[in-house]
Amino acid sequence: MWAWLLFRASGLLLVLYLFAHIVITSLGHFGGVGESNAYTQMMEFFEHPVAIVLDLLLVAVVLYHAFNGVRVILMDFGVGIQRHKIVFWTCMVVTVICFAFFAYVAIDHLVNNAGGGS
Amino acid sequence: MKAEAATAHKGGMWAWLFQRITAVLIIICLAIHLILTHILNIGDLDYSNVANRLAHASVIAVDIILLAAGIYHALNGLRMVLLDYWFGPRKRAIALNVALWVVGLAAMGYGTWALWPWIS
Repeated sequence: MWAWLLFRASGLLLVLYLFAHIVITSLGHFGGVGESNAYTQMMEFFEHPVAIVLDLLLVAVVLYHAFNGVRVILMDFGVGIQRHKIVFWTCMVVTVICFAFFAYVAIDHLVNNAGGGS
Repeated sequence: MKAEAATAHKGGMWAWLFQRITAVLIIICLAIHLILTHILNIGDLDYSNVANRLAHASVIAVDIILLAAGIYHALNGLRMVLLDYWFGPRKRAIALNVALWVVGLAAMGYGTWALWPWIS
């Protein structure tokens, strides 16, 4: 039940994120060149450490939804139904491994680029 | 293959099938999208750098697949949740389908418009 509930909650969150992402990444169309461009100004906010930590949380939500989704597809095809607990925890281990990789990238970015820039 | 997984699905067989096809597409394309944007090409997050990134046809192709698959998967997923609550009865379910198709096509149109300089 918890896997199902988290799957729904993460899915709903990702629907909101997707539409926000489409709107925010389209901002470049609305005026200005160089530093005054609406997109560039928005991206300055996303360089902030708080935004990077939020990004990393988003990665966790996406990875959980992705690998629990893989498990749901496997169950639909009757793969591993007898061993569904092992399949679930295997998916969660893969989720954690992928998350660790993104966490490394994010922390590396935070440590080496503190104070902005690339 | 458990045939009942598809045919007994409350959202309908085609929605079930497309939800899974788009899921696999998103897993593949999102991995490419994240690697390109966050790992290989981290550069300055400004309009000109991102515009240069989008100038590659493969990047645009991945983004368009993500746009279409993402919108379908997101709105069908939302539909599956809503059908469990107030939208269960047939008339409300139909109204919900129509509303979600309008929102989805509008979002697809808007997203395509936003990417148009690199598509055309």
